[in-house]
Amino acid sequence: MKKALLNFFQRIEPDKKKSPFLHTLFDGFFTFAFSPNTTTAKGVHIRDGMDLKRTMVHVVLAMQLCYLFGTYNIGHQHYLALGQYTGLLEGLHLKIAHGLIKILPIFVVTHVVGLGIEFYYATRKGHPIEEGFLVSGALIPLIMPPDIPLWILTVSIVFAVIIGKEAFGGTGMNIWNIALLARVFVFFAYPTYISGDEVWVSALEKTAVDGIPTYMSAQYGWAHGFFDWIFSGVGWSTFGDGGVLVADGFTGATPLSLAASGGWESVTSVYTESQMWWGTIPGSIGETSKPLIILGAIFLIATGVASWRIMVSMVIGAAVMGMILNGIAPAEFTESTPGIFKFMAIPWYYQLSMGSFLFAMAFMATDPVTASSTNTGKWVYGFMIGFVGLIIRVMNPAYPEGWMLAILFMNTFSALIDHYVLEANMKRRAKRTQVAVAS
Amino acid sequence: MGEFINVFVKAAFIENMILAYFLGMCSYLAVSKSVQTAFGLGLAVIFVLGITMPINWLIFEYLLSDTGILGMDLTFLRFLLFIAVIASMVQLVEMIVEKYSPSLYAALGIFLPLITVNCAILGGSLFMVARDYTFSQSVAFGLGGGFGWFLAIIAIAAIREKIRYSAIPAPLRGLGMAFILTGLMGMAFMSLMGIDPAVFGGAGN
Repeated sequence: MKKALLNFFQRIEPDKKKSPFLHTLFDGFFTFAFSPNTTTAKGVHIRDGMDLKRTMVHVVLAMQLCYLFGTYNIGHQHYLALGQYTGLLEGLHLKIAHGLIKILPIFVVTHVVGLGIEFYYATRKGHPIEEGFLVSGALIPLIMPPDIPLWILTVSIVFAVIIGKEAFGGTGMNIWNIALLARVFVFFAYPTYISGDEVWVSALEKTAVDGIPTYMSAQYGWAHGFFDWIFSGVGWSTFGDGGVLVADGFTGATPLSLAASGGWESVTSVYTESQMWWGTIPGSIGETSKPLIILGAIFLIATGVASWRIMVSMVIGAAVMGMILNGIAPAEFTESTPGIFKFMAIPWYYQLSMGSFLFAMAFMATDPVTASSTNTGKWVYGFMIGFVGLIIRVMNPAYPEGWMLAILFMNTFSALIDHYVLEANMKRRAKRTQVAVAS
Repeated sequence: MGEFINVFVKAAFIENMILAYFLGMCSYLAVSKSVQTAFGLGLAVIFVLGITMPINWLIFEYLLSDTGILGMDLTFLRFLLFIAVIASMVQLVEMIVEKYSPSLYAALGIFLPLITVNCAILGGSLFMVARDYTFSQSVAFGLGGGFGWFLAIIAIAAIREKIRYSAIPAPLRGLGMAFILTGLMGMAFMSLMGIDPAVFGGAGN
């Protein structure tokens, strides 16, 4: 069976000279599906079945639970905002269909644009495709708001892949995390689409009732109509036409924006702790559900793909900074206490469970290309991300969340950390040999 | 003391001379090929900024401004005098480096005397005048600005050492890549922009 399959693939392999692009394309998909057994002719090399593509697939696998839950949560938040189907399993088919309608275009555009650029460059350079975009392409949809316009997504990916990766020489050479570069590009270039309270719940638009601004669900498009046709066929409830006003008291505020204005009290007045833990809160598509992210992180550590040192030290860094902030915060609030001090007073263990801390820890900070590569360096690197990230989240009123920028900030210094770790190591060994010679 | 730290942190991280104002780019781009020389130049810039800033503050306050000993408004002369102070300090640094670290002296070459015209240093003195800093603030601003510059140059030097063997497209090799790196580093440093350390001074009350 396998042999017949291989024979078939060998027969359809395009000629390298005649059509270089097709050959590169073929080679990319072929080595993705089958681990190649080609070896170098000269020199001594270690060969491992766990090659680059297999490593990346592990990371993508670890994110699948986040995808599943993210798809559901897009729909759940939409209906929660409208005050319909508020139970977790009520209207499940509608929520999943709505989630799919939102996430599939993002996913497809991300991969078509990102892989397209990668294939193009691989052909131009005459290299095999490295598919470094697989992980970035799986990460990018998870860190975007569900309503992100596709052209903005395209522009940001073009920026991240060309400036952030291809300029540096392709996969494995980049200094900054590609997925985060794409997000930070949207963040600075089109801030209204990725920050604030309005973007995290999908398919809502502004309206006004008696002059009071509020939201209603947007008119559903043909995709919803298609699902309606199926659902009405099997006798389930349907989407309808949209234009439903949101439930009373809906603001769309995320826990972090509530925390920044009123501290832990105003967070718990809207969301319960278990909601924040299980992830049925508005946010980027993949970041909300903590247990699923932790499962992914455990999977990554168990397979040895991600560094546990970075994860542990990042938790320590954030905890230390959280305790420092708790220490600075005044013991009692008055009427005039600015929100920033209430934010500081939030106990550090709650800080770790809010926002995208765990997602950044499991999937972003551990990126082996952009992190420090020495073991000591990893401790320092992770610790500093935790430390700086909490500073940005709490102390910087300009940004709602800190981990994206903190990781980019420490990516800048990861090479420097490695340099000094290596230098210290060389010094220590030189000293040791000197002592040995002297004695 | 709190104010001293505030100005220092602000100058070093939040309003970094290179990555926020893009001052002092010439030597930053030219001497950042290896961490070791970048380290030396960075230290020299910290020293020169830290020394010239308070001296220039004294000159401006007691010689040039109309409340000074001459009783005349001579502030239009500040460019000349600031540059003169900076040039003499750089001479001093040059002599020290030549005496104690001839190898660094050789590695830095023309860029050591060129610290004189490093825009970060004159720019720092002019910022100090424009922002009405007190004497202790000007010391903090000088040291902080120098430290920020030092941090930026050793960080880019480490990155440039790391990417030396990368398959960078031929047209971008060298300076082209350094510009892209600086831009992306500036983006990473935007993370701290917007923090106002002064807000937290009153946290105890």
